[in-house]
Amino acid sequence: MYRYDAIDKDFLADRSAEFRGQVVRRLAGELNEEQFKPLRLRNGLYLQLHAYMLRIAIPYGAVNPTQLRKLAWISRTYDKGYGHFTTRTNLQLHWIKLADTPDILDHLASVDMHALQTSGNCIRNVSADPYAGATAEEIDDPRVWAEAIRQWSSVHPEFSWLPRKFKIAVTASPKDRTAAKTHDIGLHLKRARDGSLGFEVMVGGGLGRMPYIAQTVRQFLPATRLLSYLEAILRVYNRHGRRDNIHKARIKVLVAALGRDEFASQVEAEWEKSGTASDLPDTELARIRGAFAPKTFETLPAVSEVLEGARAKTPAFARFARNNLKPHKIAGYGIVEVSLKAIGATPGDATAEQMEVVADLAERYGQDDIRVTHEQNLVLPHVKLDDVPAVWAALDAAGLATPNMNLVSDIIACPGLDYCALANARAISVAQNIAEKFADPDLAEKVGELKIKISGCINACGHHHVGHIGILGVDKKGEEFYQLTLGGSGAEDAAVGTALGPALPYNRVADAVDTLVETYLRERHDGERFLDTFRRTGVAPFKEAVYADAD
Amino acid sequence: MRALTANRLIDGEVVFWRKGQWVERFGDAELFANDDEAGEAAEGHAKTLITVVVEPYLIDLIESEGLWAPVSYRERIRALGPSNLNHGKQVEGGAAIQALLHAHGAARSTGRVDLIKRK
Repeated sequence: MYRYDAIDKDFLADRSAEFRGQVVRRLAGELNEEQFKPLRLRNGLYLQLHAYMLRIAIPYGAVNPTQLRKLAWISRTYDKGYGHFTTRTNLQLHWIKLADTPDILDHLASVDMHALQTSGNCIRNVSADPYAGATAEEIDDPRVWAEAIRQWSSVHPEFSWLPRKFKIAVTASPKDRTAAKTHDIGLHLKRARDGSLGFEVMVGGGLGRMPYIAQTVRQFLPATRLLSYLEAILRVYNRHGRRDNIHKARIKVLVAALGRDEFASQVEAEWEKSGTASDLPDTELARIRGAFAPKTFETLPAVSEVLEGARAKTPAFARFARNNLKPHKIAGYGIVEVSLKAIGATPGDATAEQMEVVADLAERYGQDDIRVTHEQNLVLPHVKLDDVPAVWAALDAAGLATPNMNLVSDIIACPGLDYCALANARAISVAQNIAEKFADPDLAEKVGELKIKISGCINACGHHHVGHIGILGVDKKGEEFYQLTLGGSGAEDAAVGTALGPALPYNRVADAVDTLVETYLRERHDGERFLDTFRRTGVAPFKEAVYADAD
Repeated sequence: MRALTANRLIDGEVVFWRKGQWVERFGDAELFANDDEAGEAAEGHAKTLITVVVEPYLIDLIESEGLWAPVSYRERIRALGPSNLNHGKQVEGGAAIQALLHAHGAARSTGRVDLIKRK
């Protein structure tokens, strides 16, 4: 994992001290709220319904046990003993006091962490494949490039005041676990026939009020030219982005307005003008790559007798292994998905104790490596197959072994109206109601892959547009109502969902999802996922089933 | 009826106005009749208290179980705590909390008097 050098550490110490001074001035009345708000947001501190919320950056979702233990300690000491992992792979603490925040930032800095660029119109936390360095599918380790982007984009003077926020994802596998096409820039690492590395550059994706799937502006960008090309894109955006209208200020609107080809040609012209000056020197790339050198793996048989024995003996473990254990690039190892979606729990929440359990397991069995996924779960990317039964037992005891990865109860939900100042309706309790309907694990497995994503407002932090079933909370004549969309996908086959019909009241949403699932089970052909059936049949049978009930 | 609410600057806690001071319980909030200009006067004064609270505003109330509750669901959540976990102000329990829990007839989700008027 990449470790901060002395310059990084000094910078964080300075920023924390600066914010401490700003808090003192705010409390003394030397700064009013209007003056202070942009300063606190630059440090990831929001004011929400019940308290301040601190959004802590987890670059490309990677944390080590020391960091995770510190997050647990902070949540226990300064919050109510838990944290909420988000779709940007950050951690939000929802009960923070302004007066404590400078101390919290110091504690974060002590483990190379911060809350910078988790708010504001800048380049936000860069996300990457949570299986990076572990999956055989990948062409190269996307963390190397995500870290390079993190360094380049951190307090970048030219790109700290963009027209709007800006999100970048990096993946290196055909199977996209980053929702790359919903990003302002999605980067897909590829290898050319001559063996050289490059990126497919996709620009102008985004959710929110106007959902767009990113379009490819360059099929193959030589990897060494990444930063200058990003710079060219950001320059075109900085120049032409709609600063006059917050709802039209994202790059997706610019790309749509200019058209992909015109946008791409402006980027190419800008890129040609700026040359290679801002590209990463080979020595620096090598230095960063060194931080992600492959772990030391033992030579093990591909099949673990311990694991197979546990499978045969313990059906609950067999189910966990079926759903939460994924193939690793090295024989005898596996990738373990840690579910933060226990039935009835808040999606993405982890208690301080749960964070400590995961930190301990990563240390004992997982090569000190932990990842956060954009689907609000955790991953132990390098576990020996022989150790998986022991890891499962410890996770199970901590409520972290729900065998539901990619199944109906593995729901994305934003904090919604329970916490967020922007929300129109609750998201968490809708997720809880749906998960409880599908608490039977046999039923969940029978249904198969089904991605439900819930947002409490049109800002779409819960990615509802790209849910196989998307659920959007709206305010309809003063009541919580929910608009359902079907057929969205955030994966490599990205698509924006189709509206099902009129919005439903709160107490009908879980039943409607049940009806949608029943319809799918009735209509599906062999081997079809919910999404495949929907794509074949269209919305009609689903709409008919849900709204027939309404009459 | 109406009440005056804000978030306390130093810790973000949801607070309500009561005769010259800020209290944490909705049940202790001072009530202003809809036509009582004292509500606007208190709001105007609260806006000058920039080292104490952030963004004070009036909220509309309705009757619930013989007590008062915010009209809007959002404001009831602020007065109670989040609905997913029992770890906000609702922990204290009692009649005022029950009245909030059982209130219905939600209005605009923002619940802010001035915003309702604007809509």
